Amino acid sequence: MIDQFLKWLASTALATNIRESLLLFPLLESAHVFSLALVVGTILVVDLRLLGLASAQRPFERVASDTFKWTWGAFALTAATGLLMFTTNAPVYYHNFYFRAKMMLLLAAGVNMLIFELSRRSVERIGKAVAIASLTLWLAVIFMGRMIGFTTTRAAEVKPPPTQNFDDFLK
Amino acid sequence: MKQFAEWLSTTPPSVFIQDHNAWVIPTIQSIHIAGIGVVLGSAFFIYLRILGWAGTDQTLRETVNRYGPWLTGALWVMLATGILMVIGEPVRELVTFSFWAKMILVAAMAAAAVRFQRADLEGLPSRRLVRSLAILTFLIWVCIIILGRLIAYDHVWGSWSPATKA
Repeated sequence: MIDQFLKWLASTALATNIRESLLLFPLLESAHVFSLALVVGTILVVDLRLLGLASAQRPFERVASDTFKWTWGAFALTAATGLLMFTTNAPVYYHNFYFRAKMMLLLAAGVNMLIFELSRRSVERIGKAVAIASLTLWLAVIFMGRMIGFTTTRAAEVKPPPTQNFDDFLK
Repeated sequence: MKQFAEWLSTTPPSVFIQDHNAWVIPTIQSIHIAGIGVVLGSAFFIYLRILGWAGTDQTLRETVNRYGPWLTGALWVMLATGILMVIGEPVRELVTFSFWAKMILVAAMAAAAVRFQRADLEGLPSRRLVRSLAILTFLIWVCIIILGRLIAYDHVWGSWSPATKA
């Protein structure tokens, strides 16, 4: 059932277009790196505030409200670009160990955030533990993400004809 | 450059990384990506302050003092991990158009970041100019990220890529 769905996903016109394009996949990867950098960068600001290592003189609520909307916006872009890359070779990614590990870690990071949101009144008590868990989980997410690239290959590696490259834009 | 890259790939540190590439290269790259997070995140909050979209309870000077050192500190981490990546895969990195274009932009942006942190932020010439520069330099950071990724796909540059000539 799921295998059929993944096969279908990889055979859609969208997945095929990305797979066979010279630039789409690298640009999706770049957008993924850009947006995940913003996710991690903005979360780090909040985590360091919780640990008292930076922005310590600013109220936590102020730091958080300045940050979260950008984190969520960047996360949406990361998820969207990730999903588009997933479609190009869905059956392979789905069975990849590092892909699954990454999804579990993302889930754990989400649960960590939820625990924090539900216990906002005891920020002082659990803030530091939540921050350390968050930093560890996100670094692990990055590592697993990178390992996916090393343990899977793009379905049907595209060798573009010599005429299909930057030179054509200059003509 | 190709000869230098090929020589570098025979040196002991390079051979060590190649022999352990199952985990060394992904680990170095992960630290490099975490570094992108710190650099881009720090720059982002300074830009948001310049545009007045976040951090308005702080002055621009306070914002720059908060994020500036993290930005420059992370740039050093990225330089270190970047050098390790070059040592580990010299030909893949050095014999590309993307790598050298990226290096030129990185050098320019690092110099601009240091200069900006030392600038007299209260006496900045015009707000419009500063805002325009903020948007322009943010786009340059984006280009740097794209070029970094394109090192692995240097053939997209066609005859501009030394890799396709080899």
